[in-house]
Order: sequence, then C-alpha cells, then structure tokens
Amino acid sequence: MPSSSAERVRAGAYLPVSVAAGLLAGSSTLFFAFTCPWLAEHVSLAFPPCVAVTFLFVMANFTMATFMDAGVLPRANEDEDKDDDFRAPLYKNVEVRGIQVRMKWCASCHFYRPPRCSHCSVCDHCVEDFDHHCPWVNNCIGRRNYRFFFLFLLTLTVHMVAVFSGGLLYVLEHLEDLWALRAAVTLAVMSVTGLFFIPVVGLACFHLVLVARGRTTNEQVTGKFQGGVNPFTRGCCSNVEFVLCSPITPRYTGKPGKRPPVRVQPPFQKPESLKRSPGKVGDNGIQNKSPPSKQQSPRVLSVPEFKRPSTPPPLPPKPDPVLLKSHLAALEESLLHSQSVGPPGQNLSKMGQILESPSRVHYQVPREQMRKRENIHFPMTCRFQDQSSESSLDQIDKQTPISVHSLLQSSTLPLNSLTLNSRSLSLKHAHRRGDRAHVLGQRPEPLASRPSQSILSGRSGSLSYDSLLSPAELAQRGAYPLSYRAPFLPMDMGGRGPVDPQRPAPRTCSPVFMAASRRSPQHREASPVHYDNLPKGLMGSIQELEEREKQQQQHQQLLLQPQLRPQMPTQDPLGVYDTPGRRSLPHESSSRGPTPPAYGSREFLMSSAAYGYSSRTQPACSSTSSLSRAPRTSTSPLGSNVALQGRSLSPSIYRSLERQAQRSPSTLPGPLPTSSYTTHKALAFSTTSEQQDSDPKYPVNES
Amino acid sequence: RRPHSASLANKVFIQRDYSEGTVCKFQTKFPSELDSRIEKTLFEDTVKTLNNYYAEAEKIGGHSYLEGCLACITAYLIFLCMETRYEKVLKKISRYIQEQNEKIYAPRGLLITDPIERGMRVIEISIYEDRGSSGSSSGSSTTSSSGR
Repeated sequence: MPSSSAERVRAGAYLPVSVAAGLLAGSSTLFFAFTCPWLAEHVSLAFPPCVAVTFLFVMANFTMATFMDAGVLPRANEDEDKDDDFRAPLYKNVEVRGIQVRMKWCASCHFYRPPRCSHCSVCDHCVEDFDHHCPWVNNCIGRRNYRFFFLFLLTLTVHMVAVFSGGLLYVLEHLEDLWALRAAVTLAVMSVTGLFFIPVVGLACFHLVLVARGRTTNEQVTGKFQGGVNPFTRGCCSNVEFVLCSPITPRYTGKPGKRPPVRVQPPFQKPESLKRSPGKVGDNGIQNKSPPSKQQSPRVLSVPEFKRPSTPPPLPPKPDPVLLKSHLAALEESLLHSQSVGPPGQNLSKMGQILESPSRVHYQVPREQMRKRENIHFPMTCRFQDQSSESSLDQIDKQTPISVHSLLQSSTLPLNSLTLNSRSLSLKHAHRRGDRAHVLGQRPEPLASRPSQSILSGRSGSLSYDSLLSPAELAQRGAYPLSYRAPFLPMDMGGRGPVDPQRPAPRTCSPVFMAASRRSPQHREASPVHYDNLPKGLMGSIQELEEREKQQQQHQQLLLQPQLRPQMPTQDPLGVYDTPGRRSLPHESSSRGPTPPAYGSREFLMSSAAYGYSSRTQPACSSTSSLSRAPRTSTSPLGSNVALQGRSLSPSIYRSLERQAQRSPSTLPGPLPTSSYTTHKALAFSTTSEQQDSDPKYPVNES
Repeated sequence: RRPHSASLANKVFIQRDYSEGTVCKFQTKFPSELDSRIEKTLFEDTVKTLNNYYAEAEKIGGHSYLEGCLACITAYLIFLCMETRYEKVLKKISRYIQEQNEKIYAPRGLLITDPIERGMRVIEISIYEDRGSSGSSSGSSTTSSSGR
C-alpha cells in the first residue's frame, strides 16, 4: 500500500538521526558515568567538566543543525509566474562578480533558483545556499544552519578525541581486569568512538576545506567550479568569518504579516512627467498615440503604408497588457484582411503568425538568417504578460505599425519583469501558429521576425538587431528612443550611437519587420538579429534568402560576429536573464547557417549531458558519509563556467535529454552543429501543429 | 460609499541583483510598467533604501561577532530570548515599506509587498487600476477590508 510505504519511508528518515542522537548521548552518558569519576580522581579534576562542556556544545550544535530551518525558500505565488511551467526556459544566466552563473528553473517551487540555491528532493523545497541534506540530522544544511552543522562536526571531533583518550587512559590503567563493569563499558564506548572517528574526522576536514574555499558541498561534489572561478569566495579568512560570524538570516517561511493593511484608493496620482504631456497617456494609451494618418489604413502592416513617410507618432510609455493583446488582435486581423491582397498580405499573415507567438521567446537567430531586412513588416510585440493573443487579436482594431512600435517600445520592460514572461513561447499560441502555417505557405518571401528583441537583448552579446527597415520606413518610424535599445543591444549598438531614423543602415531593435522584398537587397543590412521563434517554414525561407544574399553581400555580419559570442558579463549588468524559452526541440535538421555554438540549447544540453554523465558520476544518492544527496537537487553538473549561453530547453525536454544521456551517455553526440541551434528557436512553434510547416512552402522570392 | 474602487491590474516583480554575490540586493532598474504610475526617482529611492537596509542587516562586523559569541556561549539559548540583529532590521524594513506604501505608493495605486514574504527573491509591486465603478464591492480596493 502506498500509504504504508510512504509511512515507512518517513519513519525510515528518522532512523539515522535517532541512531546518531542515541549513540552520541548514550556513549557520552556512559563515559561520564563510568569513566569520568576515575579520570577526575587520577588524571585531572578539570578533565570531566571540560568534556562536559564539549559535550554540551556538541548537543547544542546538533540540536540547532537538526531543528533549524536551513533557509527554505517559500514557493512562489501563482501570480509571480503566470506562464505554465513547461514553457519556461530552464536556465537563466546571471552575472555574479563578473562570472556568469546559471539559475535553474525550479519546477516545484516555480521560480528561478537564486545562485547557490538548490532543491532538496528529500524535503521537497528549495534551500538557500544549499549544502546537502544530512540524514544524520534529518535536515537540509543550508545558509542558516551550516555554521551549526560545521561546528557540530568540529566539536564532535574534539569530543570524540577527548572521550577516546579518556577511555584509553582508563583502560591502560585497568588492563588487568578488563572484564570489570567500568572497564568493559569504557571499552565499548571507546570502540564506538573509534568506529565513528574516521568518518567524522574525515567529514570535518572536508568541511574545513569547503569553508576555507567558500564552497558548498553541492558545488564541490558537482564540480561546479572545477577549472573555473568561484564567484562566491571572499578569500579564506573572509569565508571563515562569513560562515561563523555572519548574521543569521531570518526564516522565510511562516512569517505572518502583522502590519495593518494599506488602503489603495483611487483617484491615483500620476507622475509629473505624464502630467506635463497628457498626449502621451491615455487610459488606452497606445491607441491614443497613434497619429491619425496611421489610423486611416486598416492594414497595419501593408507595405504601401510604410512607404508613406509621416511624422513618427509618439510611443506609448506604458505597456498595457490588455492593450498589447488588443493590438495583437488588431494586427492579426489586419493581416488576415490583407491576405487577399496578395504577397503583401501573405506576408502579413505570416506576421500574424509571428504575432501570435508571444514574444516571450528570446531566441537568437543566426545572423545569417536575420541579415536581410526581410520583405515583411512585422509588428513584433513582446508579450510582457501572459496574454492570449487569440482574444486580443480579435479586439484589435486597425493599429498602425507605429502603434505596434509603441508596443515594442514597451518592450523595454525591465528584464526583471520580462524575465518571467519572456521565458518561452506560449503553448496557447502554438496551435494557432500551426493553423496559419499553411496560410503562410504560399508566401514566397522569407520572413524575419524579431519578436522578443527586448528579451533577447537580455542575452548580452548574443542579440543584435538589425533594422529590417528600409530608409523610408525608418523615416516614418521615427526615432526610436535609444533608452530602450540600450539594454537590449549591448554589443550591437555599442558602436553605433544614437539611432538616426534616416540612416539606411538601421540597427534599431525595431520589432517591425519591413517587407524588404520590395526593396533592393542592398537595403538589407547584415542582420545580427537572431530569432528563434519563427516557424520552421519561415525560418527555412529566411534561410534560403539568406543563402542567396550571402553570395551578394559583403560579410558585414562578420563585423557583427563578435556580438554573437557568449554573453559578455558587461552586457548584462543587471543580471538580465537570457535563454529563450525552449519548449521542445524542433527536429528539423540543421539547414541553417552556422551559429555560434554557445547558443545552441540543444547542443549545449547534449554536450553538457555528455559531460555530466560520462565524465562525472551522478550525485550519489547515498554514501557512506553523512552526505545524502537527493537526486537532482543539484543542477547540471556543468559548472557555471561552462555554457554561459545556457539556452534553455523546456524542463521536460531537458529531463528527457538527461534520461537519454543517462541511458547511453556514450551515444550522445558531441556538440551538435551550431547551425541546428536556430531550429531550437522555433521552439515556440515546435508543437506538432507547427511541424506541419515545411520549407518548400516558402520558396525564396527574389523580387 | 466611495465613488471609485481599485482593482488589481498587474504585478511587477523587482528581481534580485546578484552582481555582488548572494547578499540581498535588489535591482534598481525602473520597470516600464511603472513608468506611467510613479516617478522614477521615487522608485529608485525606495529600492536603494531597501538595499541599504539589507546591507546593514547582513553586515559582518562588531555586532555580528558579539551576537555569534553570545549565542555560542549560551549554547544558543540566547535565541530564545533575544531577536537577532537581522530580525531587528527586518522590522525596520517592514515599517519603512509600510510608510512608503502609505505615503507614496498607495496614492499612486501601487503597493509594495515586503520581500520577506517572497523569500527575499523579489519585491512585488502590485499595480491597481481605477475601475471607476461606484459602489461596487467586488474587485475593489486592496487589502483594506473596510466597508465602502
């Protein structure tokens, strides 16, 4: 029966701690009772009290290590993570003291584990600064109670030495009658002490080294910093000081809020900046901002529209999730309407497809593929919230591209809020993409989309957006505020300075994709844009166009090549989270151009799995030492110095990879060709419906 | 009876800044959702003050040494009687957040949640919208349960 087996398991968890406590208390009590009187008499009167004090410390530290909360992180509320878990990218990179550290998504607790945090599967919670789960105290050892565990080991070592030596003195004096009660008891105590002496001393030394090096057991055993630098170390003395003397952090769980609630009552104040420019803000802000000229055209993204230069409309300051949805809906609707028009419409319908995939994906498209300013205007909207584009698309009404830009403008949401949303493409939209795949099939032109540029920008170094706009289009789009570009184009924009809308070589992270098919190829710049969330067909068509352009253009992208390299820490000052969501791995073969290996989530994971499982044993589930490593409490065996690009896969994919790797690590391929990386980015579309797309549907149109 | 009520529209999460390690520090980057709700300087002041509080709480110095020694000497029985320095600072933080909410954020339709309730991982800022409805009791304003 499951209940009885569960109960047995739970009861079994108490066995080691009971044994430990029993042996400790029992042996010491016997020692004090039978050996100490003689020792007090014949060795020193102070000896038993000292041993008693030591024993007291041992018990105090043992009790604290057993009962103190290790630093359990409470599970995240639902509203903190609106996305479904399986859409979340598995990893996010964070820079700690200049070193990239990977934060893993905890599927149980629904947040990205802070650095050094790990999930204990025995206790089923995440623990801050997780060291290990110790069965001898039946508790996790983490940030709050590590010092007690460490001191327990040290004092226990001292205590065992004292007991053993006291017993030895007694026995040596009573060799002639070892069968006497006292001598026998002393011998028994000595043997128990001697038996556990080596493991305890070994463990104490091990933790001494860990403390000196500023590592946790988890990090040491998983080899996180092997060959790399530990960003958490402060130097030997400071590490010891931190362990022993740092303030004890509070409990995170079970803290009731006792403060009186604060009432929030409208009307609400507005910031001064908004008061000064009322035109910018409205209740439905984005719509108000569109210039009237733009609103005339029902087709937001038709190419002719963009040929009309006009004053750029002011961009809305605030992304309203509802508005975004409505904009998406309007855009899609306009795209659908324009389908009958011909190729432009088809382009637009493709865009609609793109639109549906909420740009929570921050994928990196191989530059080769993104170089061209493709033929299509795409209003790319970054979804900041978990929005259903289906409903929103139905509501939207005639939004101009500018308004879409405004949406994209709002894509400058800080990464802290975007990270949650930008994790992956929504499953909800996957089926829609599949629906539209056939529609787009007739489209001859490749598409380029930069759906989640803002999110992509978080991945420093890997994202660079080339404007796909022609000069005319740029002019009409007006100046995109650089303020929001800056965080997203750390490397790309570095040398460019302020965006000049009239510049023919745009590098704006404009999410709108111009229908570049009407343009001559020279308008297409080497595009460092990377996209991951296009459907396979689109990406195939883009790739074809890409290949053709390669022959025509200079290798501007070589200039941009450095930007695709593994993220520079300097590009990510705020710990922007990278890694586009990867739901599933599209199984299209690597028909893409070469991409930097760092971005291949699948390759990375495959290679990392190969590393992890072929070169390193999995964390042992049990060992003779007191370390009990719960399976999968540690993240990938690869250290943070590896795969800074940690592109994420959906947890399910990652687990399947892990399992596959476990079964046959030798069969794991080496790092897959980087060209297949881009296929992963179509993960947004990688549902089965999307896989109906096929490349032949998108022959490249060279018009 | 109030003419308007507010309902929760959105939540912004200010993430931790791990650039200096595992010390508790929050990003001061201004989220764009708040762009139309509060001045950037006010927000940054709040976050910076919170960061200073946390830095003070986690500071390793004379106070923490004393606390550690006392705890050790008393076999940690001192924890039963006294609250730790960190807990004291947390209370200060809680009061500060309360005051900020009352004075600055609530008038702008925002509410800050104490990070301790989220395991110190995020600062949660709830954004409220003015629904403009009169006398509606559902979806009305926030934590207060006073009658309308």
